[in-house]
Amino acid sequence: MEPLVESGNAPPTAADTAGETLEFKQSAPLSMGVELELQLVETRGCDLTRAASDLIELVERRPHPGEVKPEITESMIEVATGVHHRYDALAAELAAIRDALGAAAERLNVLVCGGGAHPFQHWPERQIYDRPRFRHLSDLYGYLAKQFTVFGQHIHIGCPHGDDALYLVHALARYVPHFVAFAASSPYSQGTDTQFESARLNAVSAFPLSGRAPFVLRWSEFNEYFAKMRRLGIVESMKDFYWDIRPKPEFGTVEIRVCDTPLTAERAGAIAAYAQTIARYLLIERPVQLTEDLLLTYSYNRFQSCRFAFDGDFIDPVSQKHSSLRDEIAATMERLEPHARELETEEPLAALAAVARENASDARWMRSRYQLTGSLHDLVWQQCRRWRGEV
Amino acid sequence: MTDFFFLPGWPLAMPQLFWLGVLLLAATALGELLDRWLRLPRILGYVIAGALLGPEVTGLLTEGAVQGLGPFLDVAMGIVLFELGSRVDLRWLRRNPWLLLTSVLESALAFGAVYAILAVVGTKPLVAAAAATIAVATSPAVVLAVSKEMRAQGQVTERLQLLTALNSVYSFVAFAMLFAWLHLEARGSIGLVAMHPLYLVLGSIALAAVAAVVLLAALERLGPRGDVQTISALGVVVVAVAVAMALKLSVVMTLLGMGILTRALDRNRRFLAVSFGYVGQLFIMMLFALTGAALRLDLAATALAAGLGIAAARALGKAVPVLALAKPSGLSYRKASLVSVGLLPMSGVAVVMAHEAASIWPSFGPQLGAVVLAAVLILELLGPLAVQFALRRAGDAADAE
Repeated sequence: MEPLVESGNAPPTAADTAGETLEFKQSAPLSMGVELELQLVETRGCDLTRAASDLIELVERRPHPGEVKPEITESMIEVATGVHHRYDALAAELAAIRDALGAAAERLNVLVCGGGAHPFQHWPERQIYDRPRFRHLSDLYGYLAKQFTVFGQHIHIGCPHGDDALYLVHALARYVPHFVAFAASSPYSQGTDTQFESARLNAVSAFPLSGRAPFVLRWSEFNEYFAKMRRLGIVESMKDFYWDIRPKPEFGTVEIRVCDTPLTAERAGAIAAYAQTIARYLLIERPVQLTEDLLLTYSYNRFQSCRFAFDGDFIDPVSQKHSSLRDEIAATMERLEPHARELETEEPLAALAAVARENASDARWMRSRYQLTGSLHDLVWQQCRRWRGEV
Repeated sequence: MTDFFFLPGWPLAMPQLFWLGVLLLAATALGELLDRWLRLPRILGYVIAGALLGPEVTGLLTEGAVQGLGPFLDVAMGIVLFELGSRVDLRWLRRNPWLLLTSVLESALAFGAVYAILAVVGTKPLVAAAAATIAVATSPAVVLAVSKEMRAQGQVTERLQLLTALNSVYSFVAFAMLFAWLHLEARGSIGLVAMHPLYLVLGSIALAAVAAVVLLAALERLGPRGDVQTISALGVVVVAVAVAMALKLSVVMTLLGMGILTRALDRNRRFLAVSFGYVGQLFIMMLFALTGAALRLDLAATALAAGLGIAAARALGKAVPVLALAKPSGLSYRKASLVSVGLLPMSGVAVVMAHEAASIWPSFGPQLGAVVLAAVLILELLGPLAVQFALRRAGDAADAE
């Protein structure tokens, strides 16, 4: 995600000299970028296939929008946008990347699709992408590394300062169920209906360093925490934390990692716009005083959203009242209105509000498609068509 | 009648079925041995087991027994061809026309190279053309069996399968044309000359289309259960093989065509989940074991050098276009060279073709037949190694680590 690094002009701090601290690079506030992990499937049976290195080689032959990178397996490819301030530019780049990738994939007879997990892939078949870091992960995590063939959308939001980033990390926690529900697209896993809207997050939770960031509010405190973890030999870099939301000091961003890769680039762009608008609301209005108690509801709300999406129960950590996630989202949309106007994200937010109202999650679309044919192979085929905008 | 009439006589009169079982066990054991100790393709073990038990070496399986098992061989070949055909995506050729050009050129140049070498040593044009036609085809069985064994996926695998299916089709069509030519020299009736290849090609395609439509209709009605789909596909394949033989059409063409058309006509993607699994595995094993048993080592040995010459010319003819068109078709040179290595195995079908040619035109006869057989033998044994090497090096194989 190099393009997200806007500038490296943050003044060095005293801690820098210790050599063990993380410098939070400054980036333009509320700038955003998106990373999408996409599935590569073959045209015969729609199973995952090994195509990433050939596809990347082909795409890299000529100038193309965004970035295209290998991921842990050959059946996954990661695309990343540059840094954007406006939703329409982000959406346009996402569409351009999708088209460039699609053209290359056609020449290789490979299909590309969204979705948080492949519905019927068998993980023992997966090929680990041949690079030392991936090999290391595979050795360390064993079957988890291969089961981790799940596909997520990561959203980066720029922050001017590490303290703002930490505020955002914790204040965004309340909205994690929103992101989960909007992007939920992994109802099937290993050939069965998981009953979850997003089964992908269950795979993520198996990793020892998943979950939430520690409750610290100042960047200096975070650095202390990181230094301790490093001294203990638990982590080497920020990459080792698989938190739902984590600061990304080298980019100067906060990274939201709970989203499945949606079935369309449009939905991915809209969710990024939602994140940007919430971030503006949070950073400008500072609506809550952060306390650790606000996180008591975190796991409960997150689970409800993974399992039921918009129908899930949501406990407001401040008022402690129960409501449906659908109502919580509707209320949030109202609060976001002035900020959406300011950022010109009204259109994508209106689209998402309709998705919540009408229960039109990608996972639901997938289930209805599967019901038509009873074939998960055909479902993947339809996902590929949806990614290309044909259905 | 003795008191012990219920006991068997001595020595035991073992039915040939016994040796079939032994053949399967020996093939499995040898296959596993090669895989575990030497990391060589299992199918090589099957071939060797067949050769060891066959009439040429120990003779435990008599020539009669091998012929008696012919129907298994036909069904196995049918399944392999059908499955390979179903891996051909005609739409890919439309989206990436460079592949079609690669396919046409690699076949044409392989033909040209083999023809030239035979012409230089003074072979009659028609005979040289027949041998060159046989050399166009890559072995569908070896390519499919090795890529399945290695659970290979990726560009090298996909392209290898595509090119193999296509060059088998070209080889067959060209051979049908040659038949006509042969007839012309032998009997000289124009009507006959035109009719035979036309009947072979069009008849095979028509039968393939009917079989594909029947299969898709069956899959549509029987629902998505995997085992049901597999067995119904198997049933249609066996019927298609039998009908093709009864109508004196080409089994190769019919079954490859049936696979290709099933894929192309499958608008509702009923065919997505069909895989032959263990059943396919069993037939592949029998196919290679019986091929091994039928290998004529003595004949081939007499023409080893000539066979090597043909094999080398053929390899060059295939490699040049694959490499030349690598970039426009969207592949790196490294992977393109692996594709051309994978194209090496010569088809066991070539043996059948050589016999057919010899039966129609005796002067094709023992000498050139031996050269072709030698080339086949070389590439039958080295072919699996070549494909394995290519798929492993490309990173397509599941055991590439």
